[in-house]
Amino acid sequence: MESRNLNILLDANILYLEDDVDLSKHTTDILEDFVHKIYSVETIKDALEIIKTKKIDLIISDILLENENGIDFLRDLKTKNISIPAILTTAHTDTKYLLDAIQLKVENYIIKPINIKELLNTLHDVLLPIVQKKQIQKNINIIKTISAITDSKQVEVIKYIMHNLDKENILVTSYSDIIDKISISKPTLIKLFKELAEKNILVKTAYKTYKFNEMALDNI
Amino acid sequence: MKLNDIFAYFNKLNFEIKTKFLIFIISGGMFSIVVLSLISTFSIKQDFDKLFEQRTTLFVKLENMKDAYKVNIQDTLIDVENNSITLEDSKEVINLAKQLIDSNWQEYKIATDSNNTPIIYLTDFIKKILEPDIPNKKNLILKSNVITNIDKKIILINKILSEINEKNIKKNFSNLYLEINAINIYITSLINYDLSLAINEKRETQKVFNIIIISSVISIILVFIFSIVLSIILINNFRYLHKMLEVKIKNKTKELKKLNNSLEKRVIQEVSNNRKKDIIMFQQAKLASLGEMLNNIAHQWRQPLSSIIMIIQGFQTKMSMGKLTNEYIENKVQDALLLANNMSNTLDDFKNFFSPDKAKSSFFLHDCAEHAVELSKYLLDKQKICLKLEIRCDIELNTYYNELSHVFLNIISNSKDALATTTIKHDKMIKIIISKYKNYAIIHFIDNGGGIDENIIEHIFEPYYTTKYKSAGTGIGLYMSKQIIEKHMSGFITCKNIYHKIDDIHNDKCSLFIIKIPIEG
Repeated sequence: MESRNLNILLDANILYLEDDVDLSKHTTDILEDFVHKIYSVETIKDALEIIKTKKIDLIISDILLENENGIDFLRDLKTKNISIPAILTTAHTDTKYLLDAIQLKVENYIIKPINIKELLNTLHDVLLPIVQKKQIQKNINIIKTISAITDSKQVEVIKYIMHNLDKENILVTSYSDIIDKISISKPTLIKLFKELAEKNILVKTAYKTYKFNEMALDNI
Repeated sequence: MKLNDIFAYFNKLNFEIKTKFLIFIISGGMFSIVVLSLISTFSIKQDFDKLFEQRTTLFVKLENMKDAYKVNIQDTLIDVENNSITLEDSKEVINLAKQLIDSNWQEYKIATDSNNTPIIYLTDFIKKILEPDIPNKKNLILKSNVITNIDKKIILINKILSEINEKNIKKNFSNLYLEINAINIYITSLINYDLSLAINEKRETQKVFNIIIISSVISIILVFIFSIVLSIILINNFRYLHKMLEVKIKNKTKELKKLNNSLEKRVIQEVSNNRKKDIIMFQQAKLASLGEMLNNIAHQWRQPLSSIIMIIQGFQTKMSMGKLTNEYIENKVQDALLLANNMSNTLDDFKNFFSPDKAKSSFFLHDCAEHAVELSKYLLDKQKICLKLEIRCDIELNTYYNELSHVFLNIISNSKDALATTTIKHDKMIKIIISKYKNYAIIHFIDNGGGIDENIIEHIFEPYYTTKYKSAGTGIGLYMSKQIIEKHMSGFITCKNIYHKIDDIHNDKCSLFIIKIPIEG
């Protein structure tokens, strides 16, 4: 298994629901080195309290609790329209809970005794899309902000170029095509293309054909 | 050939029909013989009657006529001749005689006319067969001649008598005597004729009699022979049947003996098989409870094992993070040792429980009960069953600790199974009460699992009796418990259904097991 970048866990808040106090203690001791904050609870009641007051990114729950059931807890959350990704742990290898778990769209299902590496990898896998989503949102915000303070015509030309790239990052177009779409003066357009060509970002390879060089962006 | 066919057919007939047939033949023969003899007797009697009445009475009448002529008329006339009486007087006497003669003669003629009417058909029938031409008819002409002669003579005598007077007495008398003698001769010849007829008839009757006798004797003999033949056939048949039955019985007896022998062998085999099965079942029962216990151990081990694994992984991750401190190691090692120690203790508990230790030991009853409760705790928790142990007094026993705790476990396990299937609304409970009565330790096991079905309560201590589905029970638990309590500890184990407020609120239908163990010393 490839080693993952566990640093993305450092910002995560995790709720850990486990009735075996010993196990809970030892697991928490290990996990707290990797995450922002871990809340260990023994009952569903406590767990609900934490969810109400704190921002939780992920839930780890045992299935068989003292007189309670982790599955019921997750179902309860779903009916309350609280959607937090969850990982179930169980000592039972039988599949009778598996079906319930799948219906609840649980992210993963770990058999006890817990392998800590497996748990960490699972945490990473579950949290990664969330972190990435956040990152993308951030970038979008950056671009929008930049476009707000710079020449809007040039931004539109860049947008046009990006939209018309094919799979091999090849752009087939002419100045007049662009001028038809965007009301920009020809000298400005030529200047812009020249600038991009100088920085090796958009290189002319043939007549009306340009190649977009992704690698060049890193050198700026 | 035909006779053989009949015999063959007869042989084929049902035995009952044959006997009925025999009875019918014999009784029919008897009946026909009796009827025949009666008929012949009566007909012969009739013949003799006829002979007597028709012939002898006629003789009497003819004799009367003769006497009348000789005594009344001739003697009177002689008296008149000798002048002993007067003619007038004699006429009166003669008239009387004439009337007598007339009446006798008329009666005789009527009698001979009605003679031929047959009364009994049988004898006539036989007679006709014997002598087709009746001799009577030949002589009838002779007879009628004689009768007409007698008629003429009577008229003549009457004429002479009427002509008699005192003048011609002498002449007429000699004439009259002559006529009277003549008529007497005629009458005598008539008598003779009738007599010969009678003799003939007698001879015929004799013949008929002989024939009847012969025919009845023949028929008796026939019936007798037929009956004997039939009886012989039947007896042969009996014999044949008897032989056949004997052979059949012999064969059957042989078969039975064979069967008996094989059965004996099979019984012995089955008994030994059963014994083997018993041993296997006992082992299975032990294995089953061992399996249950293993399940228990597994669960009791799983949690500390998880923790220990987590601690070990903790060392690794802390090391890789560079956060492995002395303090951390100290703490975690302490924890791990504690957990491992617990695991070891758990193992010891079960090891002791299944140790083959057979020696008696002294122990407190409640310790043993608590031990059993502890061992079954996981299974009870799983079914959410609450167990209450009530110890009313401390009792020290000197007996087999392991066996007793085994019994406790069995009964608790039984209650657990009953409670698992029950649909009780409130808490499922098992209550164990330890108390003392006289010189006995009394242990009550009560559960609110709805009691035991009345139909099976008598059987629950029998071996292999199980209400659980096949995989769950061997049916030997309670049987083993009874054996242990009664054979090894000379105690008692009983069960019944009661209504009991097990949780002091609800009056539930409960099952109650009572164990009584004598306290030594």
